[in-house]
Amino acid sequence: MLLKKSLLLIGLGIFLLVIIALAPSPATAALREQQATPTPNPKLSIGNDTCLECHAEPGLTMKLEDGEELNLYVDPQEYASSIHGKSGYACVQCHTSVGDYPHPLFTAADRRDASLKLYPACYRCHSGEYERSQDSVHAKAMANGKREAAVCTDCHTAHAVRQLTDAKTGQLLPDARAWIPQTCAQCHNAIYQKYLTSVHGSALMGEANPDVPTCIDCHGVHNIANPLANAFRLNSPELCAKCHTDPMRMAKYGISTQVLTTYVADFHGTTVNIFEKESPDAPTNKPVCFDCHGVHDIARTDDPQKGLIVKENLLARCKICHPDATANFPTAWLSHYIPSAKQNSLVFYVGWFYKLLIPIVLGGMALLIAMDFSRTMLNRYRKNRPALISPEGEESNLPAEKTELVTEPLVSPPVSEAPHLSHAPETLPAPAVEGPSSPTPEAPPSPHVEVPNSPAQEAPPPSDIEAQLPSSEEAQPAPADKVPLPSVEGPEPPNEEATHTDAVAPADTPVKNQADAESADEITTLPQLPDEEAANE
Amino acid sequence: MRTQPSTATPEIHHERTFRRFTLSQRLEHTVIFLSIAVLLITGLPQKYRSASWSQELLSTPERVHRIQDIHHIAATVLTLEVLFHLVNAIVLLIRRKLPGHIFLTLQDIRDAGKMLRYLLFLRKDKPSFGKYNFEQKVTYWFLFISIGIMVGTGFILLFPVTLTRWLPGSVIPAAKMAHSTEAIVTAIFVVIWHFYHVHIERLNLSIFTGRLSEQEMRTYHADEFEHLTGEKANRAETGGNS
Repeated sequence: MLLKKSLLLIGLGIFLLVIIALAPSPATAALREQQATPTPNPKLSIGNDTCLECHAEPGLTMKLEDGEELNLYVDPQEYASSIHGKSGYACVQCHTSVGDYPHPLFTAADRRDASLKLYPACYRCHSGEYERSQDSVHAKAMANGKREAAVCTDCHTAHAVRQLTDAKTGQLLPDARAWIPQTCAQCHNAIYQKYLTSVHGSALMGEANPDVPTCIDCHGVHNIANPLANAFRLNSPELCAKCHTDPMRMAKYGISTQVLTTYVADFHGTTVNIFEKESPDAPTNKPVCFDCHGVHDIARTDDPQKGLIVKENLLARCKICHPDATANFPTAWLSHYIPSAKQNSLVFYVGWFYKLLIPIVLGGMALLIAMDFSRTMLNRYRKNRPALISPEGEESNLPAEKTELVTEPLVSPPVSEAPHLSHAPETLPAPAVEGPSSPTPEAPPSPHVEVPNSPAQEAPPPSDIEAQLPSSEEAQPAPADKVPLPSVEGPEPPNEEATHTDAVAPADTPVKNQADAESADEITTLPQLPDEEAANE
Repeated sequence: MRTQPSTATPEIHHERTFRRFTLSQRLEHTVIFLSIAVLLITGLPQKYRSASWSQELLSTPERVHRIQDIHHIAATVLTLEVLFHLVNAIVLLIRRKLPGHIFLTLQDIRDAGKMLRYLLFLRKDKPSFGKYNFEQKVTYWFLFISIGIMVGTGFILLFPVTLTRWLPGSVIPAAKMAHSTEAIVTAIFVVIWHFYHVHIERLNLSIFTGRLSEQEMRTYHADEFEHLTGEKANRAETGGNS
């Protein structure tokens, strides 16, 4: 019995040992840890050799739900020469769910579905590029149900990912520039064929010219924008200008770097330029670079077939928007030239005309006005200070009036005239004394009193002249007694105003009356005025 | 100050004013003034499109269209006014109802010489003038030519396709250059020349009121005054204002 009991215990112990021995190995634990944070560690317990034991076998396939076969073969050479293979990345760093064998179940509706399920693995390392591509026109097409829209692996491939940029500079490698159009051509072949014929495409693909743009230089990488959107259209001149205003690059080919400024200076470009800054999503029918020069089939301007130097070619472009344009019309566009005596000479000479006209004519006028203003001010200053006046050597037509003027009191600034004129211009006093043309502050209510000898003479009003005759004027003494004295009218203005406004009567009968002659007589008495004034004072 | 010699009877005034502009002429001035103001306001943002203040105004296609529409309407008004002015003037001149005072004569050149000598202190007084003085004739003819250029080039820019059927294409950019530069020339001219003479030198509102006072006539239009009245203007002109 005791033996039997001890044998049972031993059996249990062995059973336990066996169970312990069969417990999960530390190696698998390490693998699980590795899957969480992938690092390029070729010493993983599941190395690529493990995978390739099966997947290097050509013809390895699996059946998808639609009955299509998914090729599971990986070319070891191809992978080894890819950027990931060279850097020693392991299969399981992307294919994280297949570490165990047999692999967990993987199903896909079809081959495209399989790709769409697998490509998010790129996000693990390339999150920036992945997220930018989510803003691209491709991602938007995908979201709208277009399953063919490009995802990472469509351009970069899954197992043959190329090195495209220089690791140190971040610049595209020369062979990558030519590889890109071919990659895009997988879907956009018609455009690729056009591009090959263009001045840019032929230089890149034919001569490996590093100066010409490849697809992504205009369209961007990963976050490729919709080129049919308004924003792309409005921004396109700046896009072209990136290279075409670069003197280093353009000098090699003898191309003007003024193409943007001359475009912006003209009708079309100015508007596009404003919208680009102020409302970048606005639709515009104004042409941008590619409307005339072509989108992908951009030709040299001196190309004998397509070049815009050929007048018919340019006219054809004009007619897209200006259908009635005739042969003369294209030269309305300055062809990116800055007007000179040789190019667009008419514009050049019109410009020169104004360059001369503005300083000579307008400058001359400004000068005359400055002189007139200073002389006017000087005259007023002198009148205000009679004592300072000294005889001048100037020739004078009216020497007799000089003394009279000198004695004229203070001259008001011209502004003081304003209220009188604007208020009741027809009642403006007209003193016979003609000294200052602007009335003095004391002077305003001092109209020139013109009283005819008899009302009968006054009856026919003069032509073009309005005689305003208060009714009571018959009672007035003879004008000779009433040598007008500018300041006498102090209390009168209200009366004046009333009578004048009533008395205004348009006179259309053309007559020269005697009153005029009389007032002329009256004026002759004026030179005595200063004496009288002096006597009064 | 002075006292009135006879205070017994109330003072009687014989105040004369002289018709300077007809109602039609005053209305024409108003139309020109308003249309040019609108044209300038809507034209300047289009000219200075690279300036930020202009780009804020012209920020959307709708705004560009609207400002251009306003510009074209004002331009049409101005064009009609110009046509009226020309036809009206020609008809009145033929019927001898409009004296040709505004035309330039040899006398204007002599007046310009006198004026220059006056401004150089070589002469004591300004020359005497008729209905339109030297400065006013310059204003009229400068604006006449300016508006002519603006209207002409404006229509070239409005109908480029049609006009290039007969004219070379380079007329279009030349018209654009002339249109936008002439506008500035005109604006500067109005500000420095016209505003000075009608506001600063003296406030002359006769284009609105239609009339000049006798004093103004004697002072600034002595020849016309003498011609109309037969009196001597007796201007005491030392160039105080004119």
